[in-house]
Amino acid sequence: MYIELHARSAFSFLEGASIPEEMVEACVERGMGAMAVLDRDGVYGAPRFYHAAIKKGIRAHIGAEVTTPEGWRFPLLVESREGYQNLCRAITLMKLRAKKGEGSLAAGELDWFVKGLVCLTGGEEGPLAYALAKGGIGLATQAVERLCESFGRGNVYVELQRHYCREEEARNQAAIEIARKLSLPLLATNCASYAQPQQRELLDVFTCIRHHRNLSNAGRLLTRNAERHLKTSGEMARLFADLPEAIANTASLSSRLEFSLNDLGYEFPKYPVPDGGTEMEFLRARAHEGRIRRYGAENEKAEKQIERELALIEKLKLPGYFLIVWDIVRFCNSENILVQGRGSAANSAVCYALGITAVDAVGMGLLFERFLSEERGEWPDIDLDLPSGDQREKAIQYVYKRYGRRGAAMTANVITYRGKSAAREIGKALSFDPETLARLASLVSAWEYKDSADTMENHFRDAGFDLNHPKIRKFFELCIQVQDLPRHLGQHSGGLVVCQGQLDSVVPLEQATMPDRVVVQWDKEDCADLGIVKIDLLGLGMMAVLEESLQIISKHYGEEVDLGHLPQGDEKIYKTLCKADTVGMFQIESRAQMACLPRLQPKEFYDIVVQVAIIRPGPIVGKMVHPYLARRQGREAPTCLHPLLEPVLERTLGVPLFQEQLLRMAMIAAGFSGGEAEELRRAFGFKRSEKLMRDVEVKLRRGMERNGITGTTQDTIVQSITSFALYGFPESHAASFALIAYASAFLKCHYLAAFTAAMLNNQPMGFYSPATLVKDAQRHGLRVRPIDVTKSDWVCTIEMAGDEHVMRVGLRYVKGLREEIGREIVRQREIEMFRSIDDLKLRVPRLQKGDLAALAEIGALNFIGGKQGFHRRDALWQIERVARRPGPLLESVESDDALSQRSPLQPMTSEDRLVADFHNTGMTVGPHPLRYHREDLRRQGVITAIELRSLRDGTRVRVAGSVIARQRPGTAKGFVFLSLEDETGISNAILTPQIFREHHVVVVHQQFLLLEGVLQNQENVISVKVQRLHPLFLTKAETVSHDFH
Amino acid sequence: MKFEDKKGSINVVAPASCRHFLSVVKKFMAFACIYIAGFLVQAVARSEPSLRGDRVALALLSGKAPLWNVVAANAAAVRAGVQLGMTKAQVAEFCGVEVRHRAEAQEKATHAALLDVAWSISPRVEDTAADTIVVDLDGLFSLLGGDEEIARVLMERVMSVGVAPNIAIASNIEAAILVARGFSGISILPLGEEAARLGVLPVRVLSSDAEILETLDRWGIQTLRGLAELPVLQLSERVGQRGVLLHELARGARVRALVLAQSSLTFEEEMELDEAVEELEPLSFLLGRLLDQVCARLESRALAVQTIRVLFELEPSFEKDVQSLNDESRKKTAPREFTKVLTLPVAMRDAKVLLKLLRLSLQSDAPKSPIQKIRMTAEAASPRTAQSGLFVPRGPDPEKLELTVARLGKLVGESNVGVAELIDTHRAENFRVARWTCGAIAREADGRVRKGSRKRKAAAGVYAEDSHALTESVAKLSPAGFRMLRPPLVANVEVDGESSRRPSRVSFSGMRGDVIAASGPWRSSGEWWQEDGWDHDEWDLTIDFGKKAEPREQKLERIGLVAMNVNVHRRTKIPEPSPWPRHGVYRIFYDLPRKSWFVRGFYD
Repeated sequence: MYIELHARSAFSFLEGASIPEEMVEACVERGMGAMAVLDRDGVYGAPRFYHAAIKKGIRAHIGAEVTTPEGWRFPLLVESREGYQNLCRAITLMKLRAKKGEGSLAAGELDWFVKGLVCLTGGEEGPLAYALAKGGIGLATQAVERLCESFGRGNVYVELQRHYCREEEARNQAAIEIARKLSLPLLATNCASYAQPQQRELLDVFTCIRHHRNLSNAGRLLTRNAERHLKTSGEMARLFADLPEAIANTASLSSRLEFSLNDLGYEFPKYPVPDGGTEMEFLRARAHEGRIRRYGAENEKAEKQIERELALIEKLKLPGYFLIVWDIVRFCNSENILVQGRGSAANSAVCYALGITAVDAVGMGLLFERFLSEERGEWPDIDLDLPSGDQREKAIQYVYKRYGRRGAAMTANVITYRGKSAAREIGKALSFDPETLARLASLVSAWEYKDSADTMENHFRDAGFDLNHPKIRKFFELCIQVQDLPRHLGQHSGGLVVCQGQLDSVVPLEQATMPDRVVVQWDKEDCADLGIVKIDLLGLGMMAVLEESLQIISKHYGEEVDLGHLPQGDEKIYKTLCKADTVGMFQIESRAQMACLPRLQPKEFYDIVVQVAIIRPGPIVGKMVHPYLARRQGREAPTCLHPLLEPVLERTLGVPLFQEQLLRMAMIAAGFSGGEAEELRRAFGFKRSEKLMRDVEVKLRRGMERNGITGTTQDTIVQSITSFALYGFPESHAASFALIAYASAFLKCHYLAAFTAAMLNNQPMGFYSPATLVKDAQRHGLRVRPIDVTKSDWVCTIEMAGDEHVMRVGLRYVKGLREEIGREIVRQREIEMFRSIDDLKLRVPRLQKGDLAALAEIGALNFIGGKQGFHRRDALWQIERVARRPGPLLESVESDDALSQRSPLQPMTSEDRLVADFHNTGMTVGPHPLRYHREDLRRQGVITAIELRSLRDGTRVRVAGSVIARQRPGTAKGFVFLSLEDETGISNAILTPQIFREHHVVVVHQQFLLLEGVLQNQENVISVKVQRLHPLFLTKAETVSHDFH
Repeated sequence: MKFEDKKGSINVVAPASCRHFLSVVKKFMAFACIYIAGFLVQAVARSEPSLRGDRVALALLSGKAPLWNVVAANAAAVRAGVQLGMTKAQVAEFCGVEVRHRAEAQEKATHAALLDVAWSISPRVEDTAADTIVVDLDGLFSLLGGDEEIARVLMERVMSVGVAPNIAIASNIEAAILVARGFSGISILPLGEEAARLGVLPVRVLSSDAEILETLDRWGIQTLRGLAELPVLQLSERVGQRGVLLHELARGARVRALVLAQSSLTFEEEMELDEAVEELEPLSFLLGRLLDQVCARLESRALAVQTIRVLFELEPSFEKDVQSLNDESRKKTAPREFTKVLTLPVAMRDAKVLLKLLRLSLQSDAPKSPIQKIRMTAEAASPRTAQSGLFVPRGPDPEKLELTVARLGKLVGESNVGVAELIDTHRAENFRVARWTCGAIAREADGRVRKGSRKRKAAAGVYAEDSHALTESVAKLSPAGFRMLRPPLVANVEVDGESSRRPSRVSFSGMRGDVIAASGPWRSSGEWWQEDGWDHDEWDLTIDFGKKAEPREQKLERIGLVAMNVNVHRRTKIPEPSPWPRHGVYRIFYDLPRKSWFVRGFYD
């Protein structure tokens, strides 16, 4: 029996062409009971390899190839946990001192980490081959002897590979001679770098990418043949018919390798409790303090719930985990960093009491088991939302500081080859020119919805490629093959893992690209699968907006707003929500949300929770939206699936909308425990398995039968539970988001200037572009002042105009202007106001001509020198002279020309100004582009967005506007939704798949459209069902659209 | 006063009121500009008259297969929706749009024809651009009449060469160029009205400098009039001397001297024969005459020949042509032209040596049909001036050496003379024959081209470093000498079993032997991204050919085998006795795509 003990997966990054799952699949097909994957300088693919192997019932041996400074590699196999820890530490040592993607370990350094490891002599990149090439058999023998000294004679195997190459066989003969001489065992391997022979092509392409060559000039860097695939025992036995012991030794070595990844020895760090108490006592004390603060001393229900949760936390030995998260939250509070727990943690009253979450789990009757259960046997998941940017980085650095660089690290994010990147890389290898590749990449559809014509073949044809051409065909095949293969390792946006003791003995650590960041070699799924606790410190743009808004309000309005105590039931907010006037509001601003709000008519906070959760694939696919809205509007009587379920579904009018509801349904109807219900959710979740789903369904039905629920009622309940489990949104999560949504609505309704400035200062975020946000704010009465170097700060700021708060756009919106230069302008201005453009250039010498031109074009230099009446072209005339340095002698002399600031140029037309504004800032604070053409449009019978509201359903209308959003959601069967903006507001349009197909190019590429169709006004949700459309050529201004969600 | 050219377009000319004024200032109207709008398209249409004019939509492709892009299109094609940059597949979807490939030879020919037209009018010609020629009209008025007449003559002559030009006559060169580029047909720009006439033109006709165009655009300057109205001093403060220059151009006030066109370094001679020539001797006489003419011209300019290209137009063979017409497959194979190119390692001007070289080349590879027309093109270069050092061993005379190499080429085939150069590939046939020259010439050539590419070094007989390394590594791996058969010989092989494919008996070249020992298979495959990829299983076999095979002649007849000989053009049957060892180690391979066995060679 042959066991492949030296294979590489695609996690060797460009040195392997199959993912671990494919390798395992092939291994099973070939009848092998075990396999070892030795990826280059890491165990990146080990968790996926291990789990795939477990699923298929084979053993997964872990190992790695460790690169030396000379370029050859130690192939190392892990025998025991100690060996694994040594391997991780060795790799960490080499990785942390090198640049990303580099690093090596000298043979002497490895001597510290050899225990528990088995060393092979390798193939063409191994120590034996290197020594043989360098100094013949004498030096090779010495090299192998040296290995024996380091690893111990019993832990060195002389490796033989046969890929049908003469040179390799010569090496093999030398290796055999050395093995005989030193009495070392021989070991046959195939150094399999891909699962199937045809994947050699992809490996060749990877080789080209790695060496920055193309297939035509890569020469002998490419493989000689396609023999590095996984082979059967029979094939290997034939190859080594003369050396049967080399085959036999694979099985005996495999049986020696005891280590398995379920034996990581990971421990969550202990929280240092003061005064010698236990962690649990400390947690209990903090939870009770929090309970009294949150609920008051007399809330029995809350006390009971907290006690119940604490008991489970104690039983599961998790107090340390809660204390560590609490500690992070405490740090954030002390640093005035807004923080809020989200996700299933919001189901916990303990989390609420500890201040980790802001949702009252008791008051809302949330299901604790969704967060934590005894049966699940895995760590709870607490996600913390923090303001994106510096504040979040502060929190991350705090964790590093507290647990040490080898005690905490970010989780990795495996970047895979996707449509565009795949096309580019493979195209380069096949020597296609970049222009053609760029064209192809730009045509790869990014619509969420894919119709039958949305195939790769069609994309190729669209790009003008003839698939009958052999090279193009090969390109196409390789693009398909490479999809989803790992490309490189990135860093997850917020996932942190911490460890008691040394994290580097659990998983190798690497230097991240960002300074002061360390990253583990596994992604968050891998960490979770292997029981490593992860805390997500997620950056949320809206948190940053809220935080900044509060600062602005405090500074300019002189008021302190406490987000924890916002007035509930604010009429203005609910009126605004009912009108779907929600541009910029968190989670409820999208077109689909806007289309639902007038129907749902939110009146209280819980309605916002429902609103956040209802426009999700779960309720949409499960056809829950319309029944809920019909019942809410009283058009349909609320009924329940079964009287037993009434307490669960009552709040949502008999329609299940949240994940917690399906868990409770299973608990009530089928008698599931909390943990079993959570198991059900997972069984039907993303990582669904047919067998598990079947088992759970049987269990569910049996339970219901015991409770007397049979027949169609049973079927309906089963169907609603199973169809919903995949996409359902947790109520706790919705509630956390709803809090932020309410806060954003509050700020927008009451502090529009502050909110808009904060929104603009935290872009990119949200659904709309800055241009749309500005126009929306202006329609709501905010005066927005343009960028002016004599007034603007780097960020958008608030100015006073009498009693009115107006917003000044910041220099950050000048495209291409670097932040340090922008801030230097402000600094210099604060010292002394600029006298002229010459003075500006003199005092901010880093201002380049392009910067000055951009500032001049948008009118930001019009008021320099305190004079009035200059126009943008006057400034443009001046900057051309100013940008030409006269030399040090005359640099400080201002010319007469400079002081006059006049020019022979004509002022810009409104069109010129519009083009300049959009080109240089992506927005305009002046009139909307359509305003200039309104009279013409009226003559054509075009009405405004606001006028649509007064028309009856079914009226034929013509509307026009700049396209601000294009959507083709996966749930809409190919329908396309457009949002058009004019000077009065936003109008929505619906395109049938047929209309979209007919006008594909116009819809996708034109900035301004004129639409004709029938007005649909259903329950104040207004849209135009498009029958005809035309491009409008109104301006050359480069307006932007947010597309393809 | 208006003129109509042959296209029928109305031309911009001076108003009637200027007629008197024109006659007064005639002597100042000194320059004519010929401009071909849509030059690439017109160059192609010139050779295909049916494509001329704007009725036919024509798009031109350029690039490498299969990624052709549209690089030019006429107005009709643009109206039909064709855009520059479209792919071949995209443009093919437009009905009624003719698609052709860009023809650089035609462009060159068209440009040469334009120069000819210009030179036919005046010796003072400026070769401004491929599509723009300026002619100095000074002194021509008494010969050809007024500027209208000159313009008409130019228009007629240019149209006679197959392209439609814009002709402009102005008092200065730049104004003439701008008008020709800005207005179609014939345009005559009276002295003093330059600024007014040019004012309507867009600023982009002035310059292709993106930076300055961007600045002007920012200033809102769209036309030459706008630019001309700017104060020149302040303009120079802002855009420097470039601005002053553009300002002058915009006003039509820029005066500069004509840059006289130099005749090219290509010398062409052509001879059309009344009677087609079949024999080498009379052909040599004709070639000698042409060479004399070329060399005389070269001598007058103190130049020598670097490359000589002789294009023979062959007489159509009636029978062959009839066959070709009926037989699609043969149509492409019947050559109507035959070309000989001699690239000399050192520039020379000795007509006799050149003739000998040509003769040798023709003797080894002669045209298949009688010759009707000869076109000889010589690319000139400066003659060799380097002198060898006093103590440098005397090498062969380059001319004589070249003759010797040519003679060898005649004997063994040109592709078999040179330096074997290894190619970086796993493929067994991993070499190519590079041209060889002796070291002194190579050094000389290297000195001339200081930053010569690797390719050029190889051409000069210098091995590339990695070729050395490759040779060494191969030598290390193969201690035994190996004789490779090129091309490999077809073999019949009996194998032990289908699965192992281990050869047990081999026969080729009339020999049959048992395999005593076998090593293999050594597997190599590659170039899977091309149609001619390979996939071979090689074996090293010790074969004993002690046994007598079937009668040799019979065997050869059966397998149609020929031995590999240095002269691949003359396939000779294997001479007796057999050159292959009767007992030795052979390398044979199984070609998987062709499902056949071959003998690659044998070890010494």
